[in-house]
Amino acid sequence: MDTITRRQFLKATGAGALGAAATSLTFEDIAEAAISRPLPLGTPILVVVTLYGGNDGLNTVVPVTDPIYQSLRPGIAYKESDVLPLRENLYLNGSMTGMHALWNKNQVAIVRGVGYPNSDRSHFSSMAIWQSAILGAAKTGWLGRWVETQAEDPMLAIGLGSVLPPLLAGEKRSGSVLPLGGLKLPTGSLASDCMKLSIANRNDNLLQATAARSMRNLFTVSSDITPILKAPAPAASDLPTAVGGNAGGESNLTQQLDVVAKLVAAGAPTRVWSVSLGGFDTHADEKGAQAILLGVVSEGISKFMSQMRATNRSKDVVVLVYSEFGRRVRGNASDGTDMEPLVQSLSSVKR
Amino acid sequence: MAKLSYFAGMADIAERRAIARLSHRFGFGPKPGEFKTLVDSGFSNAASKLLTAPTTDAFADNQPLPNVKDQGPRPRPNTPQVVAYATEKRAQFTELLFWWLDRMALSEHPLRERMTWFWHGHWATSYQKVDDALPMFRQNQSLRKHALGNFAEMSRAMVNDGALIFWLDGQTNTVKAPNENLSRELMELFVLGVNRYTENDVRETAKALTGYRVNKTSGDVTFIPKQHYSMPISFLGTTGVFDGNSLSDYLVARNDCALFITERLWYRFISSSEALSDLNLTKAFANRDIASLVRAIGTHSAMRDDRYAMVKPPLDWFVSVSRAFGIKPSAFSNTATIRNNLNLLGQVPFLPPNVGGWPADQAWLSTASAQFRISFAERLVKEADLSPIADLPARNRVDAMLDWLGVPAWSTRTALALRGAQRDPARLALLAICSPEYVVSA
Repeated sequence: MDTITRRQFLKATGAGALGAAATSLTFEDIAEAAISRPLPLGTPILVVVTLYGGNDGLNTVVPVTDPIYQSLRPGIAYKESDVLPLRENLYLNGSMTGMHALWNKNQVAIVRGVGYPNSDRSHFSSMAIWQSAILGAAKTGWLGRWVETQAEDPMLAIGLGSVLPPLLAGEKRSGSVLPLGGLKLPTGSLASDCMKLSIANRNDNLLQATAARSMRNLFTVSSDITPILKAPAPAASDLPTAVGGNAGGESNLTQQLDVVAKLVAAGAPTRVWSVSLGGFDTHADEKGAQAILLGVVSEGISKFMSQMRATNRSKDVVVLVYSEFGRRVRGNASDGTDMEPLVQSLSSVKR
Repeated sequence: MAKLSYFAGMADIAERRAIARLSHRFGFGPKPGEFKTLVDSGFSNAASKLLTAPTTDAFADNQPLPNVKDQGPRPRPNTPQVVAYATEKRAQFTELLFWWLDRMALSEHPLRERMTWFWHGHWATSYQKVDDALPMFRQNQSLRKHALGNFAEMSRAMVNDGALIFWLDGQTNTVKAPNENLSRELMELFVLGVNRYTENDVRETAKALTGYRVNKTSGDVTFIPKQHYSMPISFLGTTGVFDGNSLSDYLVARNDCALFITERLWYRFISSSEALSDLNLTKAFANRDIASLVRAIGTHSAMRDDRYAMVKPPLDWFVSVSRAFGIKPSAFSNTATIRNNLNLLGQVPFLPPNVGGWPADQAWLSTASAQFRISFAERLVKEADLSPIADLPARNRVDAMLDWLGVPAWSTRTALALRGAQRDPARLALLAICSPEYVVSA
C-alpha cells in the first residue's frame, strides 16, 4: 500500500518545531549543478542511513556463543550455523552477506554499545537526540548545523524523500529534499499565473513567505537540461510493515540508494546524503522481519559500494548506519524485544 | 493603484482574520455564503456557532454506514480465494476512507468531524499495520462519539480499542512477558506527555495492560484474566492492582493530563512553533470535558495574535476546498485521483506516518508539495460548482472570492495575480486555493 506515506518526521511531542524550511530539489537541479560545478574527486561524501524503529543490535552483531545471550532469548536467539563470523565470538546476522563480504575486505567498522544517559525509550526523543546530537530539546540536526557553517548551496546536503529529516534541519538554512518521483512543472499560462502568485510580498508572515517561496522555486529550475538521471530506479517491492510498522521511515531504501549512486556518479556537488528505512520496531515476530530488513540494508549498501567503485569515488564515500536504539537482551513473549537505549553503528568505510 | 475595494465596507481586518481562523481551524472552512454570515454576526457569535456542535446534523444523521464488515481470516496462500479476499479488502478500505471524507466535507456542522480528525491524529493508528477496515472504522466511530465528550471515557475506550491495541502490540502483552509498546505510548503520546513518568512506570504499567486479546479482523477485544497480571504494581506514586480501565482513569486524573491535552490542542489549533502561553487554559479541562477546552481555546485571545499563523495540513486544505466547491468526495469522477493526491501531499486519513501522528506547518511547504497542490487543484476546479463567482461580473469576482473561501484579505501580490485571471472562473478558483493566503491560516 501507500509506500510514500511511510516518511519520517520527528515531531517531539512538545513544541519542538523543525528549523528552517527545506528547499525541495528536482533531478534537473542536481543534473545542472553536476555539469556546471561537479564535486572534485577526493572530496569526502557522507551517506547517512537511518533505520527507524530501533534496530535490535544484539541480533545484528550477534554474540551467538555467549550462554547469557542464548538463555535470555529463547525463540529469537540465533544458532552459530545461522550467522556469519566476524571475530572474537561475534557474528553478523545471516542475512547480511553483502556487508560480510565488505567486512572481509576490511571495509566495515562496527561501533557497539553506543548510548546516552537516562534514556526515556521514546522513539521520538531518542531519534531527536541522535539526529540533533544534543541531549535535551534541540531544533536543529547535527548536519543541519554543519550546513550553516558552509557557503550557501542547496545541493550541499540532500535527504531523499518528501519531508526534511531533522538531521538536516538548521536554524536559518537547512539541507534540501529530493522527492523520489521527481517533479512536474506547470506549463503555459498556468505557469505564468503561478509565478505571479508566488512573488514575495512584504506583508506575508513567515509561513506565507515560505509558501510563496516553495512555489517560486518550482520555476527557478532550468528545465532544458537533459536530465542525466531521468531513468527511474526500479521500485522496490513493499517491505514487511505488518510487524514493527509504527515508528516511521521510508520503505524503499534500495531505490533511494540507487538515486544517490547515480547522482554521485554524475558529479553532484553534494557532500551529505540522507536515506532511511523504517520497520525496525519489532516488538513482535521479530526474528524474521528483522532479518528481511537487515538483508535489504546489507544488499543495498554492498550494491551501492560496488556502484561507487565504478565511479572512482569509492575512496571518498563513507556510509554511516544507525538506529535510535537497540533492544532488550531479554525477549518478550511475543517473540520480539522491547527497547534498550544502546545503539550500534555500522559504518561502511573505505578511505 | 486604484483604491482596493476589499478594504471598503468590510469588518475590521483583525476581526475578519480571527473569524477566518475559527472557520478554517475548527470548521474545515466555510461553505458558500457561510463566511459572510459569520462576519456579519461578529466574533463572539461566530465562535458560539462554530464551537458548539448541535445534537442533530442533516447530513451526518442520514449518511448510510459504510459497507465495512468482518472479512474473517485471510485464505491460505495460492488458493483462488486470495484474489477475491484482497479485492474486497481494498474495496472496504476505499469505502471507509470516502465515507469519512464525505462526512468531513458535507456535515452541516463541521466541529464534530473536525475534532474526530484531531483525535485520529492524537491516537494515531495506521491501517498500514492493522490491515482490516472494520477495526479502523470502529475506532473512528469511538473517537467520533467521544470527540467532544469526556476525555476519561475516550481514554478508556481507547485502551479497549482493538485497532489501537493491535497497532501497539498489546495483543502480545502477557503476564509471562509484558510488551511495553502500548504502555509507553499511552503515557508519552496519548495522556501525559514525554518525561512525565519514569522508565519504571512504563514497565509497571505494561503489566496492567496484559491479558487483552484482539480479534484482528473484527477488532473485538477479550479480556483474559489468566493472562492478566493480577498482583499490585507501583507507578507514579501509587501501588495497587490495575487493569486497562483503572490505569487509564488514574493517568487521566493526573494534572499532567490536563496540561498535555491542552498543549496538544494548542499545537494543532493555535501554534506548532510557539509553546502554550497561558496555563490558565488547563482549567477549562479540569473536569476532562473536551468541549469546554475546545471552546476555551477557540475564544482565547491567542486567536487574535499575529504570531500564531498555521499552515493548513493537506487534508484540511482538501476538505475546505471541497466544502467551498460543493464537491462530494465519493461522487468525484475518479476517486483514485483524490486518494493519490492526498498520498502525494502526505496525508491520507487512516494512514498516519507513525504513532506520533502527522507533522505540522513548515513540513507541508516543500516545493514538491507546491507542485502537487497545483496539479490537484487543476483536477478539483474541473468538478467545482463555481457559481459563487461565475454568476458575477468579472470585475467583482476577486473580491467575492474572499467571502466565498473565507480569506481575510488578499495581498497586493495575490490580488494582482487574480485580477489577471478574473475572466476565467476556473483559473481564478485554482489560483485562489493555491495562494499563500489560502494555504496558510494567517
